[in-house]
Amino acid sequence: MLKIFRIIERNTIEKTCLCVRYSSTDSSAEKRDEFRVLNIRKPKGRYQERKQPRTLNILPPRSESMPVDQDWGNVWPGPRSFHPATVPLPVRQGYVEKSGAPPSKYANAELVKIPNFLHLTPPVIERQCNALKQFCTPWPKALDTDEKLEKHFPLQITSSDYCFSSPSIRNPLARIVTLRFKLGSLGLNQRAKDKFLRLVGDRYDEESDSVTIVTDRCPLKKQNYDYALYLLTALYHESYNVEEWENLKTEADMEYYDWLKNKSKATIEKLFGKPHGEIENADVYADSVDKLMNEGENTYTLDKYGEAVRKLLNLPTKIEIK
Amino acid sequence: MYATTTKLLIKNVIKPKLLVQRFSSAPVLLSDKLQKFRTSESNCANHTVDHLGLFYKVPVEDRKHIFTLGGLPKSFDVQTKTFNETCLMIRQPSLDIINCMKNLDFSKPVVRFVLYGEMGSGKSLALAHVLHYAYQNGFLMVHVPWVGLWMRRCKEYSNSETKEGYVDLNLDAAAWLLNFKTQNSHLLTQPDIKTDVEYVWSKREVTPAGSDLLSLVEHGINRVKYASEVIIALAEEIKKLSNKGVVRTLVAVDGYNAFFYPNTRVYTEKKEVVHPQKVTLTEAFMKLTDFDWKNGVAVLTVDEIAIAEEDQTCHLPRYLLRKEGFEHIDPFVPVPVLNYTHKELTSCMDYYRERKWVKDYPGLDEEVEFISNSNPYKLMKVCAPL
Amino acid sequence: MFGVVNTLKNQFFNSNLKIISNVIQHNGMSQYPTYFIQPVYKKESQEELIKSGELQKLTHLPTRAALVDQTCSASHDPLVSLFINYCMRKGDKILARELVETCFENIKRMQIEKYHKTTGEENKAKIDLDPKSIFHKAIENCKPVLMLTPIKRGGVRYQVPVPIKDKKAQFLSMNWLIDAGMDKDKKVRFHLQLARELIDASNNTGRVVKKKHDLHRQCEANRAYAHYRWS
Repeated sequence: MLKIFRIIERNTIEKTCLCVRYSSTDSSAEKRDEFRVLNIRKPKGRYQERKQPRTLNILPPRSESMPVDQDWGNVWPGPRSFHPATVPLPVRQGYVEKSGAPPSKYANAELVKIPNFLHLTPPVIERQCNALKQFCTPWPKALDTDEKLEKHFPLQITSSDYCFSSPSIRNPLARIVTLRFKLGSLGLNQRAKDKFLRLVGDRYDEESDSVTIVTDRCPLKKQNYDYALYLLTALYHESYNVEEWENLKTEADMEYYDWLKNKSKATIEKLFGKPHGEIENADVYADSVDKLMNEGENTYTLDKYGEAVRKLLNLPTKIEIK
Repeated sequence: MYATTTKLLIKNVIKPKLLVQRFSSAPVLLSDKLQKFRTSESNCANHTVDHLGLFYKVPVEDRKHIFTLGGLPKSFDVQTKTFNETCLMIRQPSLDIINCMKNLDFSKPVVRFVLYGEMGSGKSLALAHVLHYAYQNGFLMVHVPWVGLWMRRCKEYSNSETKEGYVDLNLDAAAWLLNFKTQNSHLLTQPDIKTDVEYVWSKREVTPAGSDLLSLVEHGINRVKYASEVIIALAEEIKKLSNKGVVRTLVAVDGYNAFFYPNTRVYTEKKEVVHPQKVTLTEAFMKLTDFDWKNGVAVLTVDEIAIAEEDQTCHLPRYLLRKEGFEHIDPFVPVPVLNYTHKELTSCMDYYRERKWVKDYPGLDEEVEFISNSNPYKLMKVCAPL
Repeated sequence: MFGVVNTLKNQFFNSNLKIISNVIQHNGMSQYPTYFIQPVYKKESQEELIKSGELQKLTHLPTRAALVDQTCSASHDPLVSLFINYCMRKGDKILARELVETCFENIKRMQIEKYHKTTGEENKAKIDLDPKSIFHKAIENCKPVLMLTPIKRGGVRYQVPVPIKDKKAQFLSMNWLIDAGMDKDKKVRFHLQLARELIDASNNTGRVVKKKHDLHRQCEANRAYAHYRWS
């Protein structure tokens, strides 16, 4: 019904428009014979009245009428972007080209852009903690130091739960499980450790000696947790596993310099004509070469190397400058 | 320091009018200062820790013998001409090596010393001091003035005829043979220095076994085409002679790391860059720096200047020698060449003043020490316009 | 009287620095207004100022920062740094300084060589081994007293001899020396040629001194026009 009405309406409008057009052409034909007078002054009575600017009836900002002892937690209960009328603080933010104060909080996009923590004031946090306390159990007294904690609970598993008001109560981020543990707690031998490190790649942090495994490929948290533990087990056993091709490892593949496997050892043995165990001071020398190669050369390691070589070749010690 | 202050005091007392008098009093002053920075001991074997930081004069004949065809850095060479004498400072690294050489058991395999240090810290001059010691003590000197000259700015290159894929630097090789001949002219004429093996160069040219080593060298100089081959043969002969105990040999190579730096300026006929190990000359010096012979000692320097500028990032031997070089001369004795100590700097400035190279004014030493960071080469440069 | 004026001036400066800097600044491309005083960078002159008490007056006056080549080093010579600036082409000061310093080195080498060649203490004492004193002597010896300026009288340009100020004379002498250093064979380096010219000029011989004498001779020849300078 409505549609039909609209169509009729449109048609009538078009027709009236046409009529107007015809009438206007008629009047111009009449005026053609008339002498047109140039009116320099503005025609009287035809000027438009100036529009009065519309004044909006806006209430003063809410912050001005706030009592001093109000409960801020109720005013700003959750995370929310900045609102100048609600926050009763004279905040200023923004770039100033010449000397002067930064722009005030009203109509200031800079303040809206940055995240705020106005919902996390100390009294609010305290209140929330108190509310949560009834669900918590006391911390075991025996686990008073971090060392003990690490010893008895080497695995650390982290996952998040989310609750919010929306049609679905599920959050896809809740499925992610993070597994963390110290590499030392696995008790691997040197070869296995090397292989383990190669297997985990950049999941190992050398500074804290910890491995972090994040699993998120399964839809459920339980599945991801099981998968993380499976990965740990598989990694552990695989690192002890020796494949045939692993024996083909050459010197270039080594991750550190090992004197016993290098040419330096062969040279020494050839030089003295006996195995390195029987050469005097060979162990000091080997140690110094290892350090020179592994720690990188600097004056200290080079000096140590020089001293070791002098001892090895039975040369007089270095002349010191007084 | 004390010397400078006394001099200043005297200078202030004497009025500028009495110029003649001032100069006439100079000799007294000089002889007074002579003991402080100079030593008359020109026998390197007698240099001890007490001589550290002092200058000694290299006799003109010795200089002619050792350093006519290179061995002294060019800037130092110019300086000696200006100073009308060749004076070397007795410094810790060279003294250390000489001390080791004195106490060396020559029946054991060759010991390799590696001089290293920042640019301009005096590695080449330390080597020159060692060479002078070797000359005075009758060593056979196998001295390469600058390997960079071969690898970075060689005169001419051609494909080797005897070895597939190798490149000869014949002109440079002949020049080196000439250097070898002048440095060892007093030894090469000795009757028991003979070749051991017969060398056949071509159908007509043969060096029979038992001929003089000198004739072998001269063959290389006269027939430039075989110069590179002659050097390899010479290296073998020197090793044999040393093993027999006929001579004691000093192998001194300046810029040794250039033998291991792949980016040379030697090209094949197809304009491909040649690795230094593919240059025939290298083989001879690889043999000489190996440890499988005795009655010899090798003193090598590693220098940043011997490699291309873009790789001059570190002056330490492991970086400069690379893995191959390090493994080739391992175990070697690294000898650091450091900047001047305060005593050495004062001694050097006193020497400059005595040679009338710098005009004295109060606070000169401190200023110069600060500007040059006590680096010998920079010190020389800073003092040049003063 | 003078002291009072000075304090008044100071007060004036301190009260409205910003305004006057806009008003007075007619100092070319300089970033400093004209009332900024020159820095005192030499240790000796600073000590002198402290002794005489002049420093108290200068303490609160706006002062220019010292230039890069103004150091308190005892080897610093303002005339040499001026000469370096005259040598500079296309703003390449590093090259200019290097050239002048190498030139001094060459002078030293030549003179020391001469010193070792001559025999006898007295003859040796005569040889000047200090490159800076040679440089100063050379500049002094090349300074002209008169020069010719073209003056138009009755439609004809006359080359009129006029006396010149010391600064202009110094400029001419330095510039002639640099020109003489540049006028050389292609294979000879500038610093070497300059060193030769400086040594020659310090001995009152050489091309530059000859040039000065030529100019003087011309001035002498044109002495008849001298009255055009004022009439």
